[in-house]
Amino acid sequence: MTADSKEVRPTPAQKQDPPASEGAHRTVPDWLRRAAGISELWTFVILVVLVAFFTIAAPGKFFTQYDLTQIAVNAAIYLVLGVGMTFVIITAGIDLSIGSVLVLAAVAAGEYNIHHGGPDAGWGTVAICVVIALAVGAGWGVLQGAVVATGKVPPLIVTLGGLGAALGIAELATGGQDPAGAAATHLQNSLGFGKVLGIPWLVVLAAVVTAVFGLVLGATRFGTRTLAIGSNPTAVRRAGIGVGRHLVKVYGLMGLLAGLGAVMWLASYGTTSIAGHSTDNLKVITAVVLGGTSLFGGRGSVLGTVIGVFIPAVLTTGLIVIGVQQYWQDVAVGVVLVAAVYVDQMRRKTREQA
Amino acid sequence: MLSIRSRRSALVAAGTVLALTGAAACSSSDSGSGSSGGAAHKKVRLITGVKSDPFYITMTCAAKTEAKAKGMDFGADGSAQWDVSVQRPLLDSVAASRPDGLMISPVDTSALTPSLKQIQSAGTKVALVDTTVTDDSIGITRISSDNEKGGRVAADALAKLMGEKGSAIVISVKPGVSTTDARIKGFTEEMKKYPKIKMLPTLYDNDLPATAASQIQSTLAAHPDLGGVFAGNTNTGQGIATGLKQAGKEGAVKVAAFDAEPDEVASLKAGTLQVLVAQDPAAIGREAVDQLAAAFEGKSVQKSIGTNMVAITKANMNDPSVSKYFYKSGC
Repeated sequence: MTADSKEVRPTPAQKQDPPASEGAHRTVPDWLRRAAGISELWTFVILVVLVAFFTIAAPGKFFTQYDLTQIAVNAAIYLVLGVGMTFVIITAGIDLSIGSVLVLAAVAAGEYNIHHGGPDAGWGTVAICVVIALAVGAGWGVLQGAVVATGKVPPLIVTLGGLGAALGIAELATGGQDPAGAAATHLQNSLGFGKVLGIPWLVVLAAVVTAVFGLVLGATRFGTRTLAIGSNPTAVRRAGIGVGRHLVKVYGLMGLLAGLGAVMWLASYGTTSIAGHSTDNLKVITAVVLGGTSLFGGRGSVLGTVIGVFIPAVLTTGLIVIGVQQYWQDVAVGVVLVAAVYVDQMRRKTREQA
Repeated sequence: MLSIRSRRSALVAAGTVLALTGAAACSSSDSGSGSSGGAAHKKVRLITGVKSDPFYITMTCAAKTEAKAKGMDFGADGSAQWDVSVQRPLLDSVAASRPDGLMISPVDTSALTPSLKQIQSAGTKVALVDTTVTDDSIGITRISSDNEKGGRVAADALAKLMGEKGSAIVISVKPGVSTTDARIKGFTEEMKKYPKIKMLPTLYDNDLPATAASQIQSTLAAHPDLGGVFAGNTNTGQGIATGLKQAGKEGAVKVAAFDAEPDEVASLKAGTLQVLVAQDPAAIGREAVDQLAAAFEGKSVQKSIGTNMVAITKANMNDPSVSKYFYKSGC
């Protein structure tokens, strides 16, 4: 979970200490300047303020074990998708197709399940379904990555095409209707609704994925290369690293995690929800950007994404708990997003001038 | 939203041009199939809202059977998605074939009006089924479920299961949809008859099951006495069921949902849903064919018909007079 990895910047800007907000250079103590430079800090403060506000506004209702568990469960799938998206956006790419890839993987696994036992399918079938979902997701991601790697089509367009194509194939396979019996009861009762030490398996799985890929980004060569490509692909290429090959891996990873998201979705919802994923991409990109990952690449962290996923989740739940009209939550998330990107830009500017 | 709207207006403009050229072509040759009277051999086409929706499949099947019995030449198609830009080309191609009768479930209350006007003025009799358009001059008949009554049916059935006490909430798809708004209105008004039931403000999930799941769990945190939920559609119902299961409240909180699609019937059997309010799409399809036939024969036509709604619970679902309302996924 500790993957703040913005140190890795092969550009000249790297030499600078993280700058504090303008005008604060001389008057603020050094430790505070340093702390303010951590990109996650600002969003983390927002998250803490939100939690504190709702806890005070709705005593005994918001900051409860029940409520925290439900927020975490509902955030689990977005968290897994957000981890993959963090890698993609750090390379200065984007993946709009994740919702459709999730549906396609879920449909592929679901169709296999329907023809091999349906809801009463055994553990063997469940295992094969999981493999199918992961393989379909990863395969689709690798395909998109390969096209991106040619450098001829921007990632926005590649994955926009993928968004339509993956959903179309899923609709062709099912006739546009969610098939019944797509998830086995075994899968639902274990991963979907099962708990270990009071913590739902969905949350445990999401936490493990987050921790593993947080470490991958922060402490491995794979992570370093991802950050380097986002900062300066030409320099990376001249250093003799295969940028294209690395992009294929990054988009493949995104697809793999979308496949995992499909497994988690089937487990908890028991259906493929073909029409229910049209805005997954926007939700996940919002979370990643909220978490301080730069849309221009080269900077970002998995920890930030974790915070970015939880801000909208806390807002949604909190506003319902205190009984505020729901349209406010869209307004609130929108304002926070724009503000976060604005701050991101200001920080970049001061960094480049320094 | 803005971009969608501007794209839509562009499409409307393009569609209008198409419709105008189509109409010009029509008026130049007024052969038609003559007004020789009688419904037999009349060419009737049905365009549904979403082709793969069991509601529309059931409607199509019933209309087909009825049309065959009357000796009509019947054909049906539907848009792949609930989208004006998808339905309009279908409508234009059907218009080009100059049918005697057209049954359509328009997916927008105004964007299809120009096309429909052209078709109507070219001599095709139009019947609006399920959904309608705001322009009153379109359609010789409008047949749909009485959605407000459906909401009331749902409220009564749910209140009974709740023991007529506790909090209740509506989670629907989005505001501004005529059918679901009418259902919510009927539901909320009927619930006022139960003084011990408290209605919470309506939530909207934008057709996303994950949002519905989180909303129902948050509502439970704020209102532990929550006893009943009215789900706007299938996706919402699935989300609510998952949310309740995660919270360990499955069965304790009663869920009412609209329609009786195969997977909803399965949920009713499994106990994740407690009430289904079924519309009667088969009756809508049959009535539309009958009204068109009456129009062809020069008989009087009913301008507006509201079809029946029925509440299905686990207790009555095996009764053949109730189970006939289950929607079909194929003829």
